Amino acid sequence: MHGRVLARALFGALAGASLAGGIAGGLWRLGVAVPDPHSFAWTGQVLLVHAALMICGFLGTVVGIERAVAVKHRWAFAAPLASGTGALCLAFGQQAAGAWLGVAAAVFFLGVNAVVVWRQRAAHTLLLAAGAAAWVAGNLLFAFGRESGAVFPWWFAFLVMTIAAERLEMTRLMRRRPAASAALQAVLALLLAGAAWSGTGPRAGGLAYGTALALLAAWLAVFDIARRTVATHGISRYMAVCLLGGYAWLAVAGAAWAAAALGGPTRDIALHALGLGFVVSMVMGHAPVVLPAIARIKLRFGAFFYLPLAALHLSLVVRLVLGSFSTALRAAGASLNAAAIVFFAVTVAGAAVAWRIQHGAEGARKD
Amino acid sequence: MSSPADTAAFPYDGPEPLREPLAAALARVVDPEISMNIVDVGLVYGVTVDATVAHVRLTMTSAACPVIDLIMDEAEAELDKVVPPELQIRVELVWEPPWGPERMSAGARRFMGW
Repeated sequence: MHGRVLARALFGALAGASLAGGIAGGLWRLGVAVPDPHSFAWTGQVLLVHAALMICGFLGTVVGIERAVAVKHRWAFAAPLASGTGALCLAFGQQAAGAWLGVAAAVFFLGVNAVVVWRQRAAHTLLLAAGAAAWVAGNLLFAFGRESGAVFPWWFAFLVMTIAAERLEMTRLMRRRPAASAALQAVLALLLAGAAWSGTGPRAGGLAYGTALALLAAWLAVFDIARRTVATHGISRYMAVCLLGGYAWLAVAGAAWAAAALGGPTRDIALHALGLGFVVSMVMGHAPVVLPAIARIKLRFGAFFYLPLAALHLSLVVRLVLGSFSTALRAAGASLNAAAIVFFAVTVAGAAVAWRIQHGAEGARKD
Repeated sequence: MSSPADTAAFPYDGPEPLREPLAAALARVVDPEISMNIVDVGLVYGVTVDATVAHVRLTMTSAACPVIDLIMDEAEAELDKVVPPELQIRVELVWEPPWGPERMSAGARRFMGW
C-alpha cells in the first residue's frame, strides 16, 4: 500500500518535471524567459528538447501509465519509468542517455500494446499498437541525431494515432457507415506515409502529413460521438466541448502543416495547433476521468473546469492567429498558453481539495 | 436513457426479490464520457446469486481503457448497498463474447442515432 503511494508520487513527479521543463524550454525558445535565445549556441537542440520533454517526457509518460493501469502488469510501468527518467536526462543535458531511454520506453510501450491486442483483437487496439510503433520510429531517429523535420512527424503520429484509435473505439456506440473504420485507416496510413516521407522529401512528405491531419479532423467531425454527447450535461458535455475544440485546431494544424511544407511561415501554427490545440485540449477533457483512475485521486467536477479550457483556446487564438502579425503577440500568446496549462493544473488540484471537503478526508485516497 | 433499470437487459439467476434492486444498483454505475449507465450500454453480461455469492459478470468496450478498475469498484460499491450482508460480492471482468452495439438498450441506441 505504501509502495503504491510512493510509486504514484514518483510517476507524478516525473511527468510533472517533464511538463515544467518542457514549458520552460518552449518559453525560452520564444525569448520569453531570457532576452535572446539566439545567443545560446544550441538553440536548435533546445527546440528539439522542448518537444521531447512535452511529447515523450510528459505525454508519453502519462499515456504509458494509462496503458499500464489498463493491462495490470507490473512490468508495463517500465515504459513510463523509462520515458520519465529519459526526459530528466535530456533536461540535464545527458542527450544520449535520455534519447536511448526514450527508445527503451517506446519499445516497452509497444510490448504493452501487444498485450492489449492479444486480449482484444480489434481495429482500435491494432491502431494503438501502430501508434506505439510510430513512437519507436520517432525516438530512434531522435537518438540517431536526426533533425526535427524527420522526428516530429513520428512523435505526433504517436499521439494522433493514440487519440484516433480511442475515438474509433467510441464510435462503435453510434450507428456508423461501414466505411468509417476503413476511411480512418486510410487517413492514418497517409499520415504514416507522410511521416516516413518527411525524412527524405520534406515537401511531399509534409503535404501528405498535413492533408492526413485535415482529413482526420473531418473524419472526427463526421463520426465522433462528441457531436451527440455535447447535448448531454456535466462532465460528458465538458469532455465533448474539449474534443470538438480540439478537432477545430486539428484542422488548422493540417492546413498549416501543408502550408509550411510548401514554404509558408506556418510551422509554429502547425506544431502548436496540433500539440496544444488538439492534444492538450484532449488531455484537459480526459483528465477529470482518467486521473481518478490512474492516480486514485477523486475530483469534484464542476463548471469551473471550463475556465482553463477557455483560457487555453483563447491563448491559442492570440498566439497562432494574432501572433501571425506580430512576434510580440506570438510570445505573449505562448506565455498565456503556459499560464493556461498551469491554471488547469491548479484547477485539478482545487477539484481534488473540493472533493475531500465534500466527502471528508477519509475516503479521498483509496489504495 | 436513465429510465428505470431494464431487468431484461441481462440474464439473471437468483432470488426474485433481489432482481430489481440489483439491476437498479448496476444502473447507477455511469460511464462518465457518454452519460450512460453500464446496463444501458450492455456491459452487464449476467448476474447469478446463490446462497453465498452475488456474482456479476461485466465487460468493457476497450481493453486499453484505464477507467476499467474505477467502473468495477463503483459497481461493487453500488451492489454493496443492496446485497444482503451475508452474501459475498464478486464482480468479474470478462472479454468473451466481445461487446457489440447490439447489446445497447433501445434508449441508448436512440440517443446515439441508431
